[in-house]
Amino acid sequence: MKQRRVHILACVICLMGICSCDTIDCTLNNTVAMTCNFYQDGKVVQLNDILTITANDTNIVLVNQKQGASTLPLPLSFYNEVDTLLFTVEGNDYIVTDTLWIEKTSYNHFESPDCPVNMFHNITKVRCTHLFIDSVTITRPDVDFYEDENLQIHFYPSAD
Amino acid sequence: MKMRTCRFISILLLISLLCPAVWGQSRKDNKPKEKAPLLSGVGVGIDICGLAMKAVGARFANMEISGRVGLKEKFFPIFEIGIGDCTRYGGETTNVFSTRAPYWRIGMDYNVNKKLNGNRFLVGIRYGFSSYKYDFTCPDLTDPVYGTVRPLELEGLKGNNQWLEFCIGFETRLWSIVRLGYNIRYKMQTLQSYSELGTPYYVPGFGRNDDSAFGGTVNLTFDIGKTARNSNQKSLFGRHKKKEKDDIKDKNQAPTPVESAPRAAKRRENKK
Repeated sequence: MKQRRVHILACVICLMGICSCDTIDCTLNNTVAMTCNFYQDGKVVQLNDILTITANDTNIVLVNQKQGASTLPLPLSFYNEVDTLLFTVEGNDYIVTDTLWIEKTSYNHFESPDCPVNMFHNITKVRCTHLFIDSVTITRPDVDFYEDENLQIHFYPSAD
Repeated sequence: MKMRTCRFISILLLISLLCPAVWGQSRKDNKPKEKAPLLSGVGVGIDICGLAMKAVGARFANMEISGRVGLKEKFFPIFEIGIGDCTRYGGETTNVFSTRAPYWRIGMDYNVNKKLNGNRFLVGIRYGFSSYKYDFTCPDLTDPVYGTVRPLELEGLKGNNQWLEFCIGFETRLWSIVRLGYNIRYKMQTLQSYSELGTPYYVPGFGRNDDSAFGGTVNLTFDIGKTARNSNQKSLFGRHKKKEKDDIKDKNQAPTPVESAPRAAKRRENKK
């Protein structure tokens, strides 16, 4: 009789142990952004002018009057094939706007039903209007959770 | 972390309950050792834990049946096949993950209990495999910066998983050929591949997708063979109760009076 009770009790505990617990494990660093670094003469530089970046098709301000920037995380759109970004630089006596076109493919990424769905991107081509930006180089085409450099934005060489 | 602690405590409790049951039983049996035949039995089992989980509407359930062969009442090569079913709604999101696919496992159990008393204390290993398709939907996937909203429907994403399971369990005879057993399993993924679009939340047969996991089954097995209905084996219900009743009846019966030698001789003379 005692053995029977022990057996049934063990069955119940076994069922409870298997069915009871659950946890949610979402990635803490879940921001997807394209990391751009500014270069001049082959070195990372700080942009002393005031920089404003807007998305051309929606006029959404992505960066608002930032000064002293050397690296920027820029979000890319979920569904556009080409993102058009306007880089506006304000100095003491000038305002220049350079346009950057980023061609990309986007794909969904999910980890769990409890975590928000993210969109990863693969940058295929970048071009610009070359007003104050000399050239743009793709160093890592995959835009995901990692904050490694994706684009190198080279300014024209200094006059010195 | 909380989940692992709960499961660890459950396993400790279970082992602490299992061991006295087996050791207590072996102490009682002081009969001479018996030899089991090479093919000691064939069993077909069903996991009632998986069916119970499905019935109560658990997030996922593995419904499986198993077939095994008993060799000398020690080794039990086993094959398990089942269907894993999962439909999971996100708690704070509108995401839905779903899959339903078959899986199989092959392995062997070893009976640690040396006595042929109907109880089996089993340790074993399994190799599991599942090839499956899974769906992930999100009705209102919103771009947080640009504000665009579109539904996301990913269907038929393919995944493959292979894993190893280390089992420890106990099994006893309930009645006639019916046996009840339960086991705890530690599962380790060996190979996995899935779509780059997203990780499957659940792997059929393995459980929630992780590097390792704990699981278990509660098996109702129908064991047919030479040792399955061995009279020396005690069942939890039925036969031994009847035996006990018979013993009590025998004890209650009045003893037959013994005839004395002179009286017997006199009776024989009278007959002549």
